[in-house]
Amino acid sequence: MPVSQEDIALVINAIKNNSDYDFSDYSSKSFTRRIEKALIDFRLDIDKLLVKIKQDPDFVDQLVKNITVNTTELFRDPKVWQALRYRVLSKFTSYRKINIWHAGASTGQEVYSLLILLHEMNLFEKANVFATDINTDVIERAKAGEYSYRFNLEYFENFDKVIKENPFNYDEFNEIPYEKYFEIDQVNDIIKAKEFLRKKPVWFKHDLVKEGNIFNTKFDIILCRNVLIYFNTELQDKVINTFSKSLFRKGVLMIGAHESIIGPVANNFIKSGFFYIKKD
Amino acid sequence: MAYKYIIIGGSAGSFQTVTRILSSLPKSFNLPVFLCLHRLKHVRAGFVEALSIKSNIKIIEPDDKEFIRQHKAYLAPANYHMYFELGNYIALSTEEPVNHSRPAIDISFASAAYTYRDKLIAILLSGANKDGALGMREVKRQGGLTIVQDPDECQVKTMTASAMSATEIDKILSADKIIEFLVNLK
Repeated sequence: MPVSQEDIALVINAIKNNSDYDFSDYSSKSFTRRIEKALIDFRLDIDKLLVKIKQDPDFVDQLVKNITVNTTELFRDPKVWQALRYRVLSKFTSYRKINIWHAGASTGQEVYSLLILLHEMNLFEKANVFATDINTDVIERAKAGEYSYRFNLEYFENFDKVIKENPFNYDEFNEIPYEKYFEIDQVNDIIKAKEFLRKKPVWFKHDLVKEGNIFNTKFDIILCRNVLIYFNTELQDKVINTFSKSLFRKGVLMIGAHESIIGPVANNFIKSGFFYIKKD
Repeated sequence: MAYKYIIIGGSAGSFQTVTRILSSLPKSFNLPVFLCLHRLKHVRAGFVEALSIKSNIKIIEPDDKEFIRQHKAYLAPANYHMYFELGNYIALSTEEPVNHSRPAIDISFASAAYTYRDKLIAILLSGANKDGALGMREVKRQGGLTIVQDPDECQVKTMTASAMSATEIDKILSADKIIEFLVNLK
């Protein structure tokens, strides 16, 4: 059921006036679709939705969790992770410590992807990893690190590409068992990240839009994958500025495979393959 | 009639037809062409290159918020849905797959329908599921032109047949006739 732009404006206003959340600067097409989906999921029409937003603070939390997009995969876009391994992380081997912020970590699959890579490269112990998201439900799921086996067979294909194979040297093949990092229970349809991975990051709620850098440190690597696509250009600029200020010189920003930095803030970075490198 | 945008959806059995369409459009063809094609997971990479071999127009997998230009074809990137925003740019999203597909033809067609209304030509080709049917219905509702490849010619006719039962289709054409129609657009 299509929702008009006028109604969307009313919804955004109602959420803004009745909660701490502000979606004014969200990208309009996908936000509209998320609201249309929420109407179906909650079995409401637009008028009832507006009333509930105004009367029921708990509902607003539910709604926000429903409309933020949380899809993620282990080693999504293997090419990017291969490049991270051989072109980026390889340069950090001499570092004493590596500060990493994963913003918009969602249900954690890409946090675990990163941790596995770090472990394979003997960088795990040197790394300080912060993993944040606006949605507390997904943080809990990320911490649990438990995913369906059956629906995620693609995870293992991606794992093979990034962890077992070397795209820059086809003769190289490392037989690394999945069980090194996951407990796999096919009968109960569960893959679960091992405890040493789950315990590694500092997981917490953080609103990228409102809070900026709250860490009292700068970072060597910031990951923020497929989050900026939901923001309009103004908000995108603001968030990238935060990242720019939060990166050490030559720090690396890793965004989604089909996201790009546009406008003046792009001048703070040098684009190198899939990555943005903070200038001096 | 002044059509300004063309969107093409297809799945199983559509690759050759898309290649033929792209290779038949002259270099001077100036309407942007959007392609929303399901692809097998293992051929995710190299798809643009394969489509580009014979194409006269430049094919790109757009980034989010990429400005839409003439003389270009935009292929929905693997693992993203492709939307069209007012202000003439593309938006991508990683929402859940629709009809088990990401990109989903329904999403791209419906979004193009709302944004481009009667300036849009939507073409649905061979495919093995019903993705695209609801998108075609939105195109029709918003005044766009709906074309399906003649089901008798499709390798798999589920997709075109679903669209034909979901909405009124303006033209049912063979691949040759689709090409002829596009080349003669003025």
